[in-house]
Amino acid sequence: MRTTTPRRIAAAIAAAALGLTSACTAGGGGSDDGGPKAEDKQTIQVWHGWSADHEVKGFEDAVNGFRKLHPNITVKVTGNQTDDQITNAIRGGTPPDVVASFTTDNLGQFCQSGAWQELTPRLKKSGVDLNIFPKAVQDYTQFRGKRCALPLLADAYGLYFNKKLMKGNAPPKTMSELAALAKKLTVRDRDGRIKVAGFMPSVQYYEHTPQHIATSFGVKWLGADGKANFSRDPAFTEYLKWEKDLLDWYGYDEAKRFMRTMGQEFEASNPFQKGKVAMAVDGEWRTKFIEKEAPGLDYGTAPPPVSDARAAQYGGGFTLGTIMGIPRGSKHADAAWEFVRYLTTDTGSLVTLANALGNVPSTLQALSSPDLRLPAQFGTFLNVFKHPGTTTSPSSPNGGDYLVQLQKFVQDEWEPGKAQDPARALKALDEKVDKALKLAGG
Amino acid sequence: MSLLTADRRAAGAGRAKGPAGRPRAATGRRALIWFGTHAVAIALAIMFMAPLLFMFLTAVMSDEQTLSGDLWPTSWHWGNFAEVLSGDMLRWLGNSLLYAVLGTVFMLVSSVPVAYALARFRFRGRKVAFVLVITAMMLPPQITVVPLYIVWARFELTGTLWPLILPLLFGDAFSIFLLRQFLVTIPRDYADAARVDGCGEFTTMVRVILPMARPALAAVALFQFFFCWNDYYGPLVYAKPDSWPLAVGIATFRAAHNVEWNLTMAATLLTVLPVIIVFLLAQRAFVRGVTLTGVKG
Amino acid sequence: MTGLAAWTAAGRERRRGERGDGGPGGGPGARGGWSAIGARARRRRRLRVLAFLSPWLIGFAMFFGYPLLATVYFSFTRYDLFNLEYVGLTNYRFLFQDEDAWHAMRNTLWLVAVTVPLRVLFGLGIAQLLTHLKRGGAVFRSVFYLPYLVPPVSATVAFVFVLNPGTGPVEHLADMVGLPMPDWFNEPEWSKPGLALLGLWAVGDVMIILLAAVLDVPKHLYEAAEIDGANGWQRFRHITLPTISPVLAFAAVTGVIQTLQYFTQAMVAGKVAAGQSDQPGTQTVPGYPGGSTLTFPQWLYDEGFRQFNMGYACVLALVMFGVAMLFTLVLLRQFRAFTDGEAS
Repeated sequence: MRTTTPRRIAAAIAAAALGLTSACTAGGGGSDDGGPKAEDKQTIQVWHGWSADHEVKGFEDAVNGFRKLHPNITVKVTGNQTDDQITNAIRGGTPPDVVASFTTDNLGQFCQSGAWQELTPRLKKSGVDLNIFPKAVQDYTQFRGKRCALPLLADAYGLYFNKKLMKGNAPPKTMSELAALAKKLTVRDRDGRIKVAGFMPSVQYYEHTPQHIATSFGVKWLGADGKANFSRDPAFTEYLKWEKDLLDWYGYDEAKRFMRTMGQEFEASNPFQKGKVAMAVDGEWRTKFIEKEAPGLDYGTAPPPVSDARAAQYGGGFTLGTIMGIPRGSKHADAAWEFVRYLTTDTGSLVTLANALGNVPSTLQALSSPDLRLPAQFGTFLNVFKHPGTTTSPSSPNGGDYLVQLQKFVQDEWEPGKAQDPARALKALDEKVDKALKLAGG
Repeated sequence: MSLLTADRRAAGAGRAKGPAGRPRAATGRRALIWFGTHAVAIALAIMFMAPLLFMFLTAVMSDEQTLSGDLWPTSWHWGNFAEVLSGDMLRWLGNSLLYAVLGTVFMLVSSVPVAYALARFRFRGRKVAFVLVITAMMLPPQITVVPLYIVWARFELTGTLWPLILPLLFGDAFSIFLLRQFLVTIPRDYADAARVDGCGEFTTMVRVILPMARPALAAVALFQFFFCWNDYYGPLVYAKPDSWPLAVGIATFRAAHNVEWNLTMAATLLTVLPVIIVFLLAQRAFVRGVTLTGVKG
Repeated sequence: MTGLAAWTAAGRERRRGERGDGGPGGGPGARGGWSAIGARARRRRRLRVLAFLSPWLIGFAMFFGYPLLATVYFSFTRYDLFNLEYVGLTNYRFLFQDEDAWHAMRNTLWLVAVTVPLRVLFGLGIAQLLTHLKRGGAVFRSVFYLPYLVPPVSATVAFVFVLNPGTGPVEHLADMVGLPMPDWFNEPEWSKPGLALLGLWAVGDVMIILLAAVLDVPKHLYEAAEIDGANGWQRFRHITLPTISPVLAFAAVTGVIQTLQYFTQAMVAGKVAAGQSDQPGTQTVPGYPGGSTLTFPQWLYDEGFRQFNMGYACVLALVMFGVAMLFTLVLLRQFRAFTDGEAS
């Protein structure tokens, strides 16, 4: 009796678990068999992340082109979807048919796990030549040879400067020039409170994430072995020191107070649009927000400054883009593919969308389209995008975890001054990132 | 217990005796105590109500004024409520109602017989069953969430509220516990009389015992309703944006509405309002239910 | 009907059961002689018990028993809902290297150690106060109880706003009297105290069972003490406290178990205070500010339903199971002590 009970329990567990897992792997197959053909009458669900009114409308306009072409397919669009929501729906087995994500860092996870379907067979069948996309764009939409996404417009980052607040200074080209000018342009009130910040280096300032700023120091995000590289690449330490030097010049507490009251990123209260900061690194879409929300603002754009040793690389920057794909488990995969293909490759649609969103078009043909109607300041971003020195952050099997961890470290430990020894802290960070990667099976 | 010689009455005890004939000093002291306790109670009550009051005042402010730290609205924007009570909010509200109403009905149907059996039948394993009920009631839901999610995903029910509603068809440990605690206090004689009249056990339960247990049933139903209404963790795990109930929607409200505090507060207040109304209407059932056990809520 | 009475009623009933005064259906024939009929009646009785219990028996097996065993099984695997792989003790080993898990556990223990005693003391204080009120007792009781019913998400959103420096009215008030105000939900040092404050505001549940217990203390004990000349404190110390101590213990143990599950308020406070989070294109880290509101159940949620490390999430679930079980056993013991104590 004594021996049988545990054995029976073990058998029961095994049976239950087996029953489950075999059913699970069978259930989520996610290939194109079985679903309706693209020509059939059907409704597809499309999720994207845009939320501002002009963005939502722009996407609708682009979709209308598809609706005309495929009257049999009803497209239901839902905006403002985060990656968490997308991932949850896919893993839970009830995904939409098409998803778009801003968080290109998660592509590795999407491709590796199979959450987004491999598109190569469909590309071949439809005869789409990948060379219609610029090389860098081709790269960030695939992971280790798996192509599970296509690019839907791209983002490039540059330096915005408020001409009035610049007081006649030219935009800085190196990071030391940026720091010096930031101090010069900062205005404080009588109590020492910041009224205008020249440049707010903190990672808590919207787009000043390590991902965007450390790029200026030429960091190599992952080692050749795919492991974290923070302690091995001195550029990270250089970035950290630069960041903290300038932040401490403001005073950490005062900088925090300033950021807490400075307004919202995607709203009319954006501090750059309100003249509360003289310079800021931001994406090309800001041109559109300024057009809509602060049309009177006199501003210029320039490529982001680079670290002094990399002066030759000036002109390049950081690029990423929105990615679009078909989730595993989509019930209308054929129609979904038609949708993805149209939106990501049709020049007219891309130009419509780029004009509405103020984004960089992601095919070569759309990039040189005469129909592009973008503000004068936009040229900078097209140049950054095309620059050979422009880089992106590589994907990893657990998404952008290494970026999240770095951001967390800088925000919680480095900026408040809790980590005195960057070398040791970065080593610990490397270990942490690698362990998490191992747990995820990377 | 060795007690001392001081001659002072408890403020609360011995209500029957009036203050007449007491020495003056004692009366003064009693007045002081009376004044003191009520002053403390009033101060506390103000503090307890202040957050709700601030919510209300902020909800009717203009967007700019909410950022000023002002306490009193300079102009009253009643339209804020109408503005939030559309689109997403109405859908969330519908989902919340679906979850709470169905959940409560399902719980009652399934839990009452179980509680009845535990309270009135004598059988082997009864004690074990009761201990298991308490255990299931106490252990955090997070312990079993992963395998359950996997099962529901297999049935393609993730993304809906059904994984939270359907299990209530199989009894809720807390409700069983609470009902059982009440049912054991009903004297046996009533049921016996019914049985003599030839009623079956089920009929006895429905016709004789349940009407007597109405206060407990009301309490249990209210708790279940509020549990579902307030539940955040469950929908967070299972629901998709179009099946979100209010609790999850409200938590994302601020980010989605670009930090317009007045609208956020108006929306939040609208989730609180039904709770307050029901509470004021059914206060007695509530207090009774809580005192019946004092766990969960 | 009070909490105490509910517990003791169970004991009363049980003792009566032991005396064996015929249960339902147990007619005189069931005992001797007519064994065949007796057996059939017994079987029928058993079936009836089964029928009444069946919803819960099925539910318990499906929604508790099975998942618990499955949790153990999955804890030895790497599973992202697509691919399953047996990885032995890898997940368990990772637990010991996972700083975030330990950090989250420390946060949860902080909340247990601080909020549970504070809530019990505050609840008792208010209960005592209510018993001393001569006028408006019912109104005050409702006022003190009401915040507990406010949905936790709404309460948290409201608290973050009310305590928000710069915009919140509380800082405005504090400024008027010249009190310095911390930056509650934006400072790692103050976010947990902020949550504790929220817990004190919603003290209603503890308050009401303690109030019931205090009112349940037999009046004659107070009268006797009064004749002996005991003062207020002495009556509280020597009569109230010993009488209600089982209810106090009950409130404390259930408080611990509830706080171990502390999720909603911490998560919502972090999200709302961070403000930026939950926008497409941003990767959020739970526990804002600085991981200070990251509780253990939140970490479990993050690993399971954001990272989809289902196997590891199961390990975290088992840790929770262990701790919660420990306190549940304490509670069960207490329960037995209650019902047995009534006999003596």
